[in-house]
Amino acid sequence: MKLSIRTAGVAAAALTLAALILPGSAGAKPWWMRGVESNEGDFLDPDVAYRAGSRVDGDVLRVRWVIADGYYLYRHKMDIKPESPDLVLGEPAFPRGSIKTDPYLGTQEIFTQQVEATVPFTRMDAGAHPIQIKVTYQGCAEAGLCYPPITKVIFATSGAAPAPQVKSHPWEGVAILGGGFAFLFAGFLLRKDRHLDTPAV
Amino acid sequence: MKVQALRIGGGVLVMLFGLWAGLRVYVSHAPKRAAVAVAPAAGVRVAAGEASPPVPSDFDAPFDLGVGTAVTPGGPILLKIPERLPEFTLGGRTGKPTSVAAWRGKSLIINFWATWCAPCRHEIPLLQSIRREWSARNVEVLGIAVDYRDKVVAYADELKIAYPLLIGEEDALDVARAFGVDSPAFPFTVFTDQRGEVVALYVGELHKPQADLILSVVQSLNQNRVQLPEARHTIAEGLRSLSTKQPT
Repeated sequence: MKLSIRTAGVAAAALTLAALILPGSAGAKPWWMRGVESNEGDFLDPDVAYRAGSRVDGDVLRVRWVIADGYYLYRHKMDIKPESPDLVLGEPAFPRGSIKTDPYLGTQEIFTQQVEATVPFTRMDAGAHPIQIKVTYQGCAEAGLCYPPITKVIFATSGAAPAPQVKSHPWEGVAILGGGFAFLFAGFLLRKDRHLDTPAV
Repeated sequence: MKVQALRIGGGVLVMLFGLWAGLRVYVSHAPKRAAVAVAPAAGVRVAAGEASPPVPSDFDAPFDLGVGTAVTPGGPILLKIPERLPEFTLGGRTGKPTSVAAWRGKSLIINFWATWCAPCRHEIPLLQSIRREWSARNVEVLGIAVDYRDKVVAYADELKIAYPLLIGEEDALDVARAFGVDSPAFPFTVFTDQRGEVVALYVGELHKPQADLILSVVQSLNQNRVQLPEARHTIAEGLRSLSTKQPT
């Protein structure tokens, strides 16, 4: 029995080691290698580089852009317009951005990482239509690529709306099963009343 | 006692494995790097830059991010780069229609740009110097501005851009599409040899080492010292090497 416990320990160690060493077959880079192997250097699709969303917060709309690392948006190119009928928007309020000085374009206010604008709104339709707004934005990658202005129509979600769904990943099932199994196995190994030694005959 | 330690050690390792599996799923849920360009069937697509997309924790608030209907197209998506320089005609600085055939027999550096694009402006002095340096070797720089004519002409005059410019709006976008670039982002630059074969397409701001590398290979191609597939391969490898050596 001692041998089997030792074998289990060695097997668990080997399993863990193998899992740490073997790269992901799904192509996802392990977290500890991020930024090390990325020498391909492709630019992001603009819908990945810049993600816009909106939600209702009382009598204001909050419009948020999440901006990928190494990318930025120009403040003066950002605009929010009503799209649904009978929606009236006030002047959007943006936080102060950072200043980027370009030898050719001069000084510009830009946003990186994340920015949230608030827009007061009134509805003349007593809530008959979903709130839709049209957002326009334009930005560039620090590495030297600029996207043309992007205009999108987005729905404003209510404050209680669920977080956006994330597509399930092929590894998810494996990880859930593996994780569950691992904890069960760990529990089995660690249980207090376990008889470890072969009873003397 | 030893057995107890082994038991605990084994249990901890197994728990670590479970933790690792969970972390792995979390990390792999980050939106995948969407290559702006897919490997082209012809030509060498080269993109510069380094970035990671936003991570899931950015979306913890109840925002519905990333949805919406695109009213205007987004960014650069390469379709299929043509093997040969496509035929096209655009207005020049004065508006006079000019065909690309006017430069037949030359190696072309076709630079797509716009006045609102900072990196496009950055690379114009480089393109000017390339033209000075390489024009004796049958190389011509051709700018294609996807922009309003008056803005382009004013800017070209201000910078004294000496190389030929073709200017267009929707028609210039059609030309970009003819090069396999749908919904373009700027700048991007196409290199052809003097036979009109598309050798490389470089996405993003061009820098001197990259330009010199591509042009030297194009020159070898023009002198029949290498074949086109080998030339493309050399460029791809060389640019990969450059991108690891120096940040753009």
